[in-house]
Amino acid sequence: MSPDSAPILNVSKLVKRFGGFHALDGLSFHVLSGEILGLVGPNGSGKTTAINVISGLYAPDGGEVVLDGVSIGGVASHKLVHRGVNRTFQVPKPFLSLTVRQNIEVALAYGRAVGTPPEMAALLEQYRLTEVADRPAADLNNAQQKMLDLVRALATRPRLLLLDELAAGLNPTELDWIAGHIKALAQSGTAIIVVEHLMGFIEQITDRVIVMNAGKEIFEGKLAVAVRVPQVIEVFLGGEHAA
Amino acid sequence: MIYALVAGVLFGLYFSLVGIGLNLVFGVMRIVNLAHGDFLMLGAFVAFGVVTMVGIDPLFAVPLAFVIFLLVGLLLYWVLVPRLQGSVNPEMLSIILFFGLSQVIEAVMTIFFGTSERSIQSRALGTVFSTIKVKLFGGKPDSGGPIQIFGQGFPASWVIAAITSLIAIALVYLYLYRTRLGTLTRAVMSRRDEAFATGIDVDRVSAAAFGVGLGLAAVAGIFAPFMFGSVTPAFGADATVTSFAIVVLGSLGNPLGTALGGVVYGVCYMLVQTYLSSWADLLPYVLLIFILLLRPSGLLGRRVRVA
Amino acid sequence: MPSSFKHTLFIVLLLLAVFAVLPGVYQNHLLLFNFVIFLILAQGVNIIYGFTGYLPFGYVGFFGAGAYGFAIMVMHFQAPAALAVIVGGLVGVALGLLLTPLLRLSGAYFAIANLAASLAVLHFVANPALENITRGPYGVSLTGTFNPTLAYAAALVVLALTLGAVVYLKNSRFGLALQAVREDAVSASMAGVDVVRMRVIAWLASALVAGLAGGVYAWYLSVFYPDNVFSGDFSIFAIVFALFGGVATICGPIVGVIILYGIYNLIGFTTPQYFQLIYGLLIMGLVLFLPAGLVSLATRRGWHVP
Repeated sequence: MSPDSAPILNVSKLVKRFGGFHALDGLSFHVLSGEILGLVGPNGSGKTTAINVISGLYAPDGGEVVLDGVSIGGVASHKLVHRGVNRTFQVPKPFLSLTVRQNIEVALAYGRAVGTPPEMAALLEQYRLTEVADRPAADLNNAQQKMLDLVRALATRPRLLLLDELAAGLNPTELDWIAGHIKALAQSGTAIIVVEHLMGFIEQITDRVIVMNAGKEIFEGKLAVAVRVPQVIEVFLGGEHAA
Repeated sequence: MIYALVAGVLFGLYFSLVGIGLNLVFGVMRIVNLAHGDFLMLGAFVAFGVVTMVGIDPLFAVPLAFVIFLLVGLLLYWVLVPRLQGSVNPEMLSIILFFGLSQVIEAVMTIFFGTSERSIQSRALGTVFSTIKVKLFGGKPDSGGPIQIFGQGFPASWVIAAITSLIAIALVYLYLYRTRLGTLTRAVMSRRDEAFATGIDVDRVSAAAFGVGLGLAAVAGIFAPFMFGSVTPAFGADATVTSFAIVVLGSLGNPLGTALGGVVYGVCYMLVQTYLSSWADLLPYVLLIFILLLRPSGLLGRRVRVA
Repeated sequence: MPSSFKHTLFIVLLLLAVFAVLPGVYQNHLLLFNFVIFLILAQGVNIIYGFTGYLPFGYVGFFGAGAYGFAIMVMHFQAPAALAVIVGGLVGVALGLLLTPLLRLSGAYFAIANLAASLAVLHFVANPALENITRGPYGVSLTGTFNPTLAYAAALVVLALTLGAVVYLKNSRFGLALQAVREDAVSASMAGVDVVRMRVIAWLASALVAGLAGGVYAWYLSVFYPDNVFSGDFSIFAIVFALFGGVATICGPIVGVIILYGIYNLIGFTTPQYFQLIYGLLIMGLVLFLPAGLVSLATRRGWHVP
């Protein structure tokens, strides 16, 4: 894992408010191509909001999101997809009445993947969806829906991939398997941001983590270092992770 | 001008009663009762029944209609809603389902009562008061005479409808804020999913809201012949759109909002009728569209309902 | 799937051929014409509801607007009928454009707002203050263009166009993307689909279809009142027919029209309230027991339905 030095994404002083609540309160960080960055923090610390703003679901109320040197704050999601940004959802929402194959076909057709488009058969095979390819997505179990969501994102050939709790609900064997896939994606040059509660998984795959609390960064560096920082420990002990 | 304003407020209070049942049902169940107007129409027919068969003041039909349609509502709820909630897209299907129900009601009423317009002499309403007056104070019965407000005469039936509406809204308020079931109802209205999680018997709350909603619609219907002149079985569809306009104008899940929406609607209606009468028919529709687009949460609300 | 595409084409051509031949052997031409109109409208509803999930309770607004677009072209500009029909379609599109903000609303709000919009257009057109333009509530009489045979042929052309559009949606990536938007707009946007653009295109296409149908209808009738061409029955029938057969398919709405409108003509003309009762009960039964329409009886068995 040797991330090259160009930051693909630069987030600076990002602010997002919901009513009076500051979900993001001056968040700044960057990601390099080929790097796997972990976003960790207690519930409500703003991790998912950060992903939602970066992927264009919400317009920021302040600060900047810069992709390849171009500001993308407030740009519509589908345009970001065309520029190489994609994501998965904490609760996947596939197109339930369409078949798995059709689900992927939409992303292949509309994602405007740069370079050689991924192949349907390969995607199905890699993410263990071949057997259910012609069933409606509604028939899939939760883990399969998560894989379909990931494949939907990969079909657009993202250069920046945001994974929102992809690992939650997977069993240990599946975790190792998916960790391998994520690392391989990074090695091929994709920048990946991982939001995750499973610390073991984060440690296994990330190069670097940002610890967030109350919409701000409170630590940046290796997870192994983070767990010895008093401020970080306090945030996690004070939060629901104490138990 | 004063006439239009006072008439607008009187009508507006009545309109609040027209809309409040729909609001309650939508607020609690996320289901659009497209048959709401048809229950109004049925209420009107209860009033005809009471007047023509028993020959007494239609005011007596108020408790009668409320109880009948409360029970009808409970029954319908148990028959229709559980199946609906189990489906893929309950909100959309509920529209279609209740549209079907409204067609059935309209057809049955047409089969039994024909399509002719029915009206009740406005003198019939409130006879109970003049009778009491005659019994207690002597003198001649003088029902049906106009009531003086700010030096202008208004039909007694309008005033009686407005007062009944005020009482009904006050009772809804008491129900929601002073009873246990009412408190639970408000909880379900604000956070339906969480209400499920906290172990509230959402079904019981919804059934009650549905029953009360239909009961209120029927009560509003009793006054429809006096407020609109006459009623036919086909009256239901227009009444539903008007009710929806009023509810949207106020805000969802807030009975006081509906009261405000009703009054604003009533005053606008009377002003347009007075000064721009040929365009008055357009008002409810245009108002509804603009409110939905510009202030989707209604005058008092905060909820978002954007696709 | 070229073989299913062939099946579809076969069904569509057969339907058109049958309706092209029938006037020669069956006397009640008005009935045939109404069938064609409802086939068009049910497919129009299919485009917007079946493929995008917006329930157009005021669909008749486009139909009526198209009819009046036709009437105004003929009355005030002495336009030839065919041109006036096209203008009718464009009036439908213009009204659709005016109403695009409604697409911001979801579920019931859209349905009700659309209903309100159609009633607003009715009251606008029927307003005595506009008597010089629309003849207000007094209706229009277009005896100059009266030609039922040509109007029927025009209706078949519009039907062919509409069926063509639905076949395209059913077999194209565009239609697939529309269905993706219907299922989940956020996921669709993350598949690279421009959600707003898709919805607007489907909305305008279905408005165009209804506008053209309205123009043809005005041509055939030549004498009508606002209440005729803005009758809520058009919206309701079209929606019920489409749902009954099954939306997001090509056959569903066709089956729905043929069965339900057939029943309507057997019992509905003489005693409309009995038909109303029956279709009211049918709608309720459909929602409760067969929410995906008649075709779901076949798809549940694993049969492919175009």
